[in-house]
Amino acid sequence: MTRVVLRGLLARRLRLGLTAFAVALGVTLVAGTYVFTDTINASFDTIFTKAYEKTDVVVSPGDAVNGQDDNRAPMPASVLDQVRSTGGITNAEGGIFDFGATVLTPKGKKIGQGGIVASRRDNQRYELFDVAEGKLPSTAGQVAIDKATADRKHLKVGDQVLIAAQTPKQAFRIVGIIRIQGVDSLGGSPVAMLTLPEAQRITGKVGKLDEIDATVRKGTDPQTVKRELTAKLGPSVHVRTGKEEAASQSKDIRDNLGFLQTALLAFAGISLFVGAFIIFNTFSITVAQRAREFGLLRTLGASRAQVLRSVLGEGLFLGFAGAVIGIALGIGLAAGLRALFKAIGFELPSNGTVIASRTIIVSIVVGVVVTMLATLAPAIRATRVPPVAALREGFVASTGRRSRLAFPASIVMLLGGLVLMALGLFGTGSSNRDLTLVGVGAGLMFLGTALVSPRLVPPIAGLIGAPMRGITGRLARENAMRQPGRTAATAAALMVGVALVAFASIFAASARKTIHDYVSNGSHAQFIVQNTDGFSSFSPLAAKRVAQVPGVTKVSPIRFFQGEVGKNKVGMTSVDPATFPDLYRGGGTGQLRTLQPGSAYVSKGYRDDHHPGAVVRVKTATGQTVPLRVAGTYNDKGHLLSDVTIANTQAATDFAAGKDNYVFVAGTGGKATQNAIKATLKSDFPQTEALTNQEFIDDQAGQIDQVLALIYALLALAIIVSLFGIVNTLVLSITERTRELGMLRAIGTSRRQVRKMIRYEAIITAMLGGILGAVLGVVLALLVSQPLDDFKLAIPFGSLIALLILSAVAGVFAAVLPARRASKLDVLEALAYE
Amino acid sequence: MIVTGSDLRRTYGTGEAAVHALDGVDVNIQQGRFIAVMGPSGSGKSTLMHVLAGLDRPTSGTVAIDGTEVTRLDDKALTELRRDKVGFIFQAFNLLPILTAEENILLPLSLAGRSPDREWVDRLIDTVDLRDRLTHRPSELSGGQQQRVAVARALASRPAVIFADEPTGNLDSSSSREVLELLRKAVDEFGQTVVMVTHDHDAAKIADEIIEMADGKIVNGHGPAA
Ligand SMILES: Nc1ncnc2c1ncn2[C@@H]1O[C@H](COP(=O)(O)OP(=O)(O)OP(=O)(O)O)[C@@H](O)[C@H]1O
Ligand SMILES: [Mg+2]
Repeated sequence: MTRVVLRGLLARRLRLGLTAFAVALGVTLVAGTYVFTDTINASFDTIFTKAYEKTDVVVSPGDAVNGQDDNRAPMPASVLDQVRSTGGITNAEGGIFDFGATVLTPKGKKIGQGGIVASRRDNQRYELFDVAEGKLPSTAGQVAIDKATADRKHLKVGDQVLIAAQTPKQAFRIVGIIRIQGVDSLGGSPVAMLTLPEAQRITGKVGKLDEIDATVRKGTDPQTVKRELTAKLGPSVHVRTGKEEAASQSKDIRDNLGFLQTALLAFAGISLFVGAFIIFNTFSITVAQRAREFGLLRTLGASRAQVLRSVLGEGLFLGFAGAVIGIALGIGLAAGLRALFKAIGFELPSNGTVIASRTIIVSIVVGVVVTMLATLAPAIRATRVPPVAALREGFVASTGRRSRLAFPASIVMLLGGLVLMALGLFGTGSSNRDLTLVGVGAGLMFLGTALVSPRLVPPIAGLIGAPMRGITGRLARENAMRQPGRTAATAAALMVGVALVAFASIFAASARKTIHDYVSNGSHAQFIVQNTDGFSSFSPLAAKRVAQVPGVTKVSPIRFFQGEVGKNKVGMTSVDPATFPDLYRGGGTGQLRTLQPGSAYVSKGYRDDHHPGAVVRVKTATGQTVPLRVAGTYNDKGHLLSDVTIANTQAATDFAAGKDNYVFVAGTGGKATQNAIKATLKSDFPQTEALTNQEFIDDQAGQIDQVLALIYALLALAIIVSLFGIVNTLVLSITERTRELGMLRAIGTSRRQVRKMIRYEAIITAMLGGILGAVLGVVLALLVSQPLDDFKLAIPFGSLIALLILSAVAGVFAAVLPARRASKLDVLEALAYE
Repeated sequence: MIVTGSDLRRTYGTGEAAVHALDGVDVNIQQGRFIAVMGPSGSGKSTLMHVLAGLDRPTSGTVAIDGTEVTRLDDKALTELRRDKVGFIFQAFNLLPILTAEENILLPLSLAGRSPDREWVDRLIDTVDLRDRLTHRPSELSGGQQQRVAVARALASRPAVIFADEPTGNLDSSSSREVLELLRKAVDEFGQTVVMVTHDHDAAKIADEIIEMADGKIVNGHGPAA
């Protein structure tokens, strides 16, 4: 029996290759994701382990609210004195490590994404960096920069760089090129190392420290000292041993990458789901085609179990082969991803590719299990082939059973999917569980649609094929409708990808519309100042400078940060009560004029118990808990304001939120004023820019488009897999119709006509997938947007039509190989084909 | 002469294993004649038909249909020649299962993008007696009916010559008779030229002439111009 399996596989090399590839591409993304993230994690582990090797105890600010470094409040320098005066400590030193800087070339060009300012350590044991060239800075005005930045921008010792942080842009002379524990770059952000006082000054942390490193007396257990320090310093700081600190920082990186990993694996899952459709379809077709072969095997005495094993054996082999190919491709993909990240400015460290055994095991298990599951139904159908099938000409394996059950099953699936999605969408449980519910629900909806779709094939194929003129069009239409189940399953694979693309584009369009509406309805400013990256915070000095520009009548800075109420995080906004109500108008925002330290307004939807007069106790980034008296509620249709809004002054003192995210600017003089603001910002705070409302809308839309492009790129994989499916089905159908094709050629069908016929059939299949996908995408978007109040659903009809056209084009591509094969058939051989 | 083949050779394989399916065949077929080709199995009858019809290229020798030298044509021209000048009837009826009887009949015309001559088509349909079966698919027709559809399809484009390879091979005797009579009628009434391979001596009797083949050669019958 094994031999029968192997012979069967060899005889159908092309189909085998295409099917294995359908599995392989999904596995590629699984393996690639693991290799990529493992490699980065391992590299950071090495960096942190080395960095804290010689440090016994580390004191860092408590991340009471969230771990975002941007929002982490530094410790007062007095903590250092307390550390030094602790028994068992022989030496301690403080340092600055700040992510809020921008580094520019001498010509004023921004370097890379973000920017890190680090202070030089006096005691080498604590130094994270090592000198590659030159020396470390020792006086104000000197800087050492990381090697990756130096190499990328051709900067040498003796050159200048400009740094803008909380203080205006300023020139520093490069005295050294540094590396991070032997690695050139730390995630692509440029690193500027300054003396401690300079680092404190330009980051706005005078008298503050981001980290304290300490050494304990020989023979003393760092754990003992750590306990003592913890008791002494209180809960507003973390005290860790060097080892623990390294582990904690590694974990932060892991957590940050965890999101990326989950997202990539989700897309891998989508590709595998689509791949499963294709494997199922391919096996269904071949089992039907080989009915006589199975009949013959049964006649010769093969048991049902043997037939089942022979088909499942093929699946096993295919899944395994696909997984192995996938792992190989995945390793390549990981390298590709790293190159891609480097190209967009996130150079990730790597000390050699990490291929964990988990990667190999998961990839193979996933590949084999998905394939076997998809093979199961066709394999069972193969066992139902009666021995007489061998004797009957043109026996077709019965499908009656399936179609009788298909309709009720599909309804159950669609309803089940709907319920699961609703549970996930309106659920209040953990967001991970909700997301899983939504995902599984959507998967069921896909399956349900796939199951009903054979019924939809004739009408839709007729509709799509209607403009296809002539006999080739007629034949293509008929061929597509000939076996609706087959066409439907092939189209369903594409449907999944298209539905998700449609869904993403609807969401993006809606997000753009929401932003557009809130800015154009809410903003009464002429200009908006923001970080050039569109979201990071910047120095409050920028707003002060802008206020001095002639023509500017009012500036109003806005800040976003987080707090904690009870165990729940709460999004917070702070505004300038004097100016904000003039420059922004949402529902009830006029009252914000009465804000003062200690009072807050909350959004209408924010927790019922926070009625006016109540006191909300909010834990802040500095670790303290601040009581806020609720003065009233607003209903900001523009969604600019988060759930709790307070005054800027209190945000700065109690929440460590001293930097602005946006500055609304009112002014006269139009373009001239804007240019004057721009010039001021460019010379002092080049990390910021002044935009008109429309420019701001476009910029925000541009950010959405970037995310969208990324999602499209990842969905492209699933779509490519589904195109393999179209190729596969066409190749199999052509084999089945060899004699017909021979006859057609014999009576005068030209090769062109044959190609056209196949192409049309592919277009019909692809567009069927496109139409079902677009409709399903709209339905999913409608569902998912239900619980989002004030989310303005916008359906981008242009994009959806473009999507249908692209489906047709994809069909044309998928048809190339099958059409060529069909047109090259030898007429006489084809006529003699059985 | 509507079809001529001179010194046709068709060799399969090389060296020791070479099979000379056609071993120097000269053949001339006159317009409006019904020719039967007979001979033992493996004697080269099908090969001759394929070569004459432009479905296969001879190893050497030339074929001309209606004045066109077939052996020189490229695939595109050959396809058009088959479409416009040659009709085929196969042993296995070879209809398209997805098309109705009428669409199958009109297939060669559709492929050429020509609109059918309604009068001619009507006459054909009556001749093959399928008027009440036009909208049926092949799976709903009997073998004899299917082969009648195939005959009508071969006649639809009024080709220069019709080749039929054992057209009655899969039919019972009464259906065979019908098909043979149809072919006879095509020759007599429409002036068609028909070349038919058959193993059946009774069937061969309906023809005007019989060509006999053995071992890739014509052993009796229509050799060089009669
Ligand atoms: N594709 C091929 N490859 C090799 N040999 C072939 C091929 N086609 C035909 N032959 C050989 O050529 C010879 C003539 O075959 P052909 O099919 O023309 O015979 P036939 O007279 O039609 O026989 P039958 O009455 O059985 O149909 C045979 O010996 C056959 O084996
Ligand atoms: Mg023969």
